[in-house]
Amino acid sequence: MAWGTRGPGSGWGLAQQPTLSVSLVCAARYPEEIMNRLPLVSCLFLLSGAAALEAAEPVSYARDILPILSANCYACHGPDDHDRQAELRLDDEQAVRQRKGSGFPIVPGKPDESLVIARITSADPDLVMPPRSSRRQLTPEQKELLRRWVAEGAKWQRHWSFEPIQQPAGTLDDQVRGALSAKGLALQKRAEPTVLVRRLFLDLIGLPPTPEAADVLVRDPSPAAYERLVDELLARPQFGEHWARMWLDLARFADTKGYEKDLGRTMGPYRDWVIQALNDDMPLDQFTLEQLAGDLLPQPSEQQLIATAFHRNTMCNDEGGTDDEEFRIAAVKDRVDTTIQVWMGLTMGCAKCHSHKYDPISLVDYYRFYAIFNQTEDADRYDDAPRLEVLTAAEREQRAKLQASVTRLEEALRAAEMAESAQNSATDAPWRADEIVTAESRGGATLKVTTAKAIAAEGKSEPEDTYTLVLAPGNRRLTALRLEALPAKLADGQFGVGRNPGDPNFVVSELRVEVQAGENWKPVKLVAPRADFSQSGWPVDAAIDGQTKTGWAVSPRSRERHVAIFDFAEPLDLTAESRLRVTLVQEYGNRLTLGQFRLSTSTAEPATLSPTAVSPEVRRSLDELAAAKQQLNTFQANLNLLPILRELPADKKRVTRVHKRGNFLDPGEVVEPGLPQGFGPLPANEPLNRTAVARWLVNRDNPLTPRVWANRIWARLWGLGLVETEEDFGALGSPPSNPALLDWLAAAYRDQGWSLKKLVKVIVMSQAYQQASEISPALREADPRNQLASRGARYRLPAEVVRDQALAVSGLLSAKMGGPSVMPPQPAGLWRSTYNGKSWVDAEGEDRYRRGIYTYLKRTTPYPALTMFDAGSGEVCQIRRIRTNTPLQALVTLNDPAFLEAAAALAKRLQGIAGAEARARQGLRLALIRPSTPAEIGPLLRLQQSALREFESAPEQASALLKVSRAEPGATPPAEFASWIVTASAILNLDELLTRN
Amino acid sequence: MTDFIDPVRERAELLTRRHLLQTGGLGLGAMALQALLARDGAAAPTPRANPLAAKAAMIAPRAKHVIYLHMAGSPSQLELFDYKPELQKLHLQSAPQSFLEGKRFAFIKGVPKICAGQFAFARHGQSGQYISELLPHFARICDQACVIRTVHTDQFNHAPAQLFLQTGTPRLGNPSLGAWVTYGLGSFNENLPGFVVLLSGGKTPDGGKSLWGSGFLPSVYQGVQCRTAGDPVLYLGDPAGIDRTLRRKMLDTLAELNQSEYQRSGDAETLTRISQYELAYRMQTSVPEVMDISREPQHVLDLYGARPGFVSQAEGADDPRVLYKGDDPTFANNCLLARRLVENGVRFVQLYDWGWDHHGSSPGESIDETLPIKCQQIDRAIAGLITDLDQRGLLSQTLIVWGGEFGRTPMMQNNVRDEFKKGFVGRDHHPFAYSMWLAGGGIKGGLAYGQTDEFGYYPVENPVSIRQLQATVLHVMGLDPERFHFTYQGLDQRLIGPTDEGQVLQGILA
Repeated sequence: MAWGTRGPGSGWGLAQQPTLSVSLVCAARYPEEIMNRLPLVSCLFLLSGAAALEAAEPVSYARDILPILSANCYACHGPDDHDRQAELRLDDEQAVRQRKGSGFPIVPGKPDESLVIARITSADPDLVMPPRSSRRQLTPEQKELLRRWVAEGAKWQRHWSFEPIQQPAGTLDDQVRGALSAKGLALQKRAEPTVLVRRLFLDLIGLPPTPEAADVLVRDPSPAAYERLVDELLARPQFGEHWARMWLDLARFADTKGYEKDLGRTMGPYRDWVIQALNDDMPLDQFTLEQLAGDLLPQPSEQQLIATAFHRNTMCNDEGGTDDEEFRIAAVKDRVDTTIQVWMGLTMGCAKCHSHKYDPISLVDYYRFYAIFNQTEDADRYDDAPRLEVLTAAEREQRAKLQASVTRLEEALRAAEMAESAQNSATDAPWRADEIVTAESRGGATLKVTTAKAIAAEGKSEPEDTYTLVLAPGNRRLTALRLEALPAKLADGQFGVGRNPGDPNFVVSELRVEVQAGENWKPVKLVAPRADFSQSGWPVDAAIDGQTKTGWAVSPRSRERHVAIFDFAEPLDLTAESRLRVTLVQEYGNRLTLGQFRLSTSTAEPATLSPTAVSPEVRRSLDELAAAKQQLNTFQANLNLLPILRELPADKKRVTRVHKRGNFLDPGEVVEPGLPQGFGPLPANEPLNRTAVARWLVNRDNPLTPRVWANRIWARLWGLGLVETEEDFGALGSPPSNPALLDWLAAAYRDQGWSLKKLVKVIVMSQAYQQASEISPALREADPRNQLASRGARYRLPAEVVRDQALAVSGLLSAKMGGPSVMPPQPAGLWRSTYNGKSWVDAEGEDRYRRGIYTYLKRTTPYPALTMFDAGSGEVCQIRRIRTNTPLQALVTLNDPAFLEAAAALAKRLQGIAGAEARARQGLRLALIRPSTPAEIGPLLRLQQSALREFESAPEQASALLKVSRAEPGATPPAEFASWIVTASAILNLDELLTRN
Repeated sequence: MTDFIDPVRERAELLTRRHLLQTGGLGLGAMALQALLARDGAAAPTPRANPLAAKAAMIAPRAKHVIYLHMAGSPSQLELFDYKPELQKLHLQSAPQSFLEGKRFAFIKGVPKICAGQFAFARHGQSGQYISELLPHFARICDQACVIRTVHTDQFNHAPAQLFLQTGTPRLGNPSLGAWVTYGLGSFNENLPGFVVLLSGGKTPDGGKSLWGSGFLPSVYQGVQCRTAGDPVLYLGDPAGIDRTLRRKMLDTLAELNQSEYQRSGDAETLTRISQYELAYRMQTSVPEVMDISREPQHVLDLYGARPGFVSQAEGADDPRVLYKGDDPTFANNCLLARRLVENGVRFVQLYDWGWDHHGSSPGESIDETLPIKCQQIDRAIAGLITDLDQRGLLSQTLIVWGGEFGRTPMMQNNVRDEFKKGFVGRDHHPFAYSMWLAGGGIKGGLAYGQTDEFGYYPVENPVSIRQLQATVLHVMGLDPERFHFTYQGLDQRLIGPTDEGQVLQGILA
């Protein structure tokens, strides 16, 4: 009686989501006759506390009282000490036994002496609780329940889900029968073999069977044959593809980063990891540990690092001007909320602003837990760092090849340079590298003179710098100055002429030469600048044009030696004491400053001096090497880099403070890492990190994790959880419809090695699961929403299965597994994110027909045909999908090109069969698996015939339909083929096809 | 009042209807069922069966519809509604330290300079409000609107601020204003979506589709984006080669087969599916009809400056900055569509116009060159919308809201080296005080509400928070913002959040 215990006092909104199921089909939960006889308003009272009032059993605190207190009283008298009124808390047994003013809040056995009872029954509007201002009100039935509870001794229990799991004796079916017999019901007969086979296929692998697969069980419906089929399906790789969807919803998996720009990121390897883990039946404890803390395991494998992408599915905001720290914190909070909700079914989210009003999680608890997750390196960066290279074997091979080719060309270049050095000495002859007296960097770099009188800039590297060098050229008559830029080894191990490894270019904004004249320096006029190479738009003349916004640069040849020559307008006659001062102004920014260079002077006739061009051999070598490196870089840049978790080193750990009212700009007290109390032993003698969280979540004594997971798996098979609020096992969630069954499943899951496949098998092997799903009036009356498993489950299939089934029935479905997400056709013009150039390109070939789980999911524009069937956007953790039944869904299955193409392919499959009636029968068989009846064939044939007449009288309509559905009519006349497309489309829209029954 | 979205009653009524369909409907063939479903009146799907059926308000409503005009990117209040002569005197002087201390800006760095309002203001209407020369048409009808000059928000980046304004939280996952209203009140035309979204300016607003999402509410309440190119609603059009007659025959066959499926299974969900296919069929006709503005007479088109059939160059352009230059009537077309939708019973129409983020980093995104173009694109259309609604007697039933997600700074954004340069005049995001206006049902026209200080930096009188604005919209529509909630994740979730900050602005109500 999930609902009955919640009175109308819970307010105006709807109590819980699924009661809203838009189809409202699950709505019928109370005996129709009673409802019809009673005026509507009194239904409210009928429902309140119905469980306890109808039966004369004792009041149960957990079932009857706690829901009333938490919904009506805890807001002011609950665990949150910030908002607590009158210093009274009703969530604590000790507290209500203590004297308050004139008496005691609750005196066990004596309702008339209990202040709480007096206040809730007071006729005085100023005294009655809850107060008018709260807009909450207790019903007479609720008041009576509270009174009876006190009269019966005010027995206290913890909230049911926090109590230890007690596995009841017997089988799963015993638990179901127990609940049914209390209502005078029994299990239904077994469903037809064809129905059972379709049910198993859809539930276990998310795909329909072939009629032949169903026939196996028709011939041998024995339990042994049924079990063989179950085992076979559990072993299929499609099992992981189907069940991964549940996990990816929880993991808020998507292919983009979210928010304004919503740029793409590589998450596919993580999706494939989940599929593989489920296919391997990785136990939940390991599944938990690897995803939450794979990086903290000793020598983690690549797969274990990939698993940590689970918590990198959080969104990133790349909008200009945003505060990265703000969104880093948002991501960490999302990890905290998701972790607690996914494993324990508790909502921690509200505790980030104030202590939880209903469940025992305080503000400080929240930030202690947060402190554990607050220690990873990721920080809402544009590049999503840290990331992991995830390579396929082919990619590894190609990279090795590219690297080998770079090595080979580097050797070739060295050889060519050796050969050239002889010539170099000739071109070098007129130059002399001068004695360096001083060398200074304004930006604080160390300018070191090397043995070859070159100058290497080391140490500090400012965006802009100016080098000033004083030379002693000696007693000579100088005609020109030469600047050589020399490649030096950079931080990344590569060579370059500039200091920035990311762009090893330089820009000499200005080059000035002065000669010492007594105390002063006199400028020397420079003319006829020339260089072996200049970057387009950055000619060497610009280095002496008096402007610092222009200059000489050398990209893209920034990894080789360059030479520039500047003639003196008048020869300089120097003495031995003369000094020359050369200033290299480099003001482009971005650290485009010279890394190693040499200054030389000459006495030769300027016209004879030319900047050394490298020999043609060296030039070719250089170009080939540059091209090979470019190829390697491009390859490297396009590699899949998967965002992963990485813990900060010990000396960089963040200090965590409480965020007052959830505001990170308003930090409060410092908190140490910690785990919420009361859910099993806390780890002793080991650091409180993510590993400890993972172990704690799946410790034997944690009552929540097994219940939450068993409930989740039950819900995926039955369409509705035993605890309907799968996301909330706390005080405000719904209580289990069959507590014994829930604990039986929870214990079975935990005690049999946390095996998903074993638990699924136990459920599907039960008689309860195998029941027929027809709904008789008596059943509807007794168990309107099938929460007691009084019949086989019926519900509309999930979005991905709707798609995959249509593709499978028509024969289009691709069996390809894994890899990057794909883009099946969607209506044009949907992607219009701000500042995001990426576009949707409809896939051709196999990728057009992949399973729905591989469809590219852009958070701000999810694939419409899936979202209309309630698939999520991956923005936040989605615990369950609320099923809807809307006209927009009809438009998808009628008009979406994917479904039209499926209809055309199904029509094609039917062409091989002789006779219209046989075709229609086979069409229904392929779709519904069960044999059809003549009453079903008739309407389909009539549709086909009248479509045929229409298309024959309007052949252009036929060819238009063939075109848009990509039909391949072969020898069949177009009008006839088109009429079969219409018929196939009708089959693909059958309610029975969209329903799992 | 007490029958407002009461789940128990909703369920009871549904049961009654189911009962009717089962006892009276079991023996019916498909044809009879078709007739039953198609006919108006008591036997057709009852109002309660349709989650979008109109529902009673919680409190006396002052309006029945909302048209929300969101200027994505955020226009400058200092050039449009908040006249600040003091800025003229301080033009290009350094901003006082009090503006900068402890503040977070999106792009401003160091000490920026004060920037004078770039356009002239004059008093207009009987109310004598100051309105900018950029809005001559709005100036004519300014007595119909209440300009609030003191709206403040706590978000200063586009996506979070838009989400905060439209969904009550800067993060994703909560229902939008339109979804809340449609959930609370339903809609009036079961052949049209209850909450329609129309986009102009060539780009989806920064906050994406979550701005009209249903969050934790059932997805049927999410906004349906109607498009001006292609199918107005996704997958609405029958595929080429399938005409209405054939579609009808196909649906008849489907209904017949589904009906026998229902007889076998006893699953009422099947009946719902049959009726949803019928609704889809009707939408296929009704939506394109209402979306077809070419049916409007020329003088109405002129009133808005609308041009039927216009396909904006903005669609598919790569560089966002060219999108909102020049004479693009998409917003005007959308205003006219909004009127047609409201006239046909749609509850909530949300327009987003992209291109109001005038940082001054280029002439395409500047106060001095781009803002006049954007104003010209919306000014006639908005005045036309208000006039047209008024003439049809719809203005008193329709709440119109206009504004961005925050305002713009009185300081110039110091883009390239602080120079005041034509085409590069820009202002950064300003969350502390900005202008929005409301008009129509329940709103006191001709009122200028709230005062900012002499720089337009902070409110000095009647500050209005986003939550107050949200509360006021709900209140006008007949939903008590304090009590209107949905229980989710263990909390009574409200649009206005958990605090009592969201008080209704009684001062602006007629």
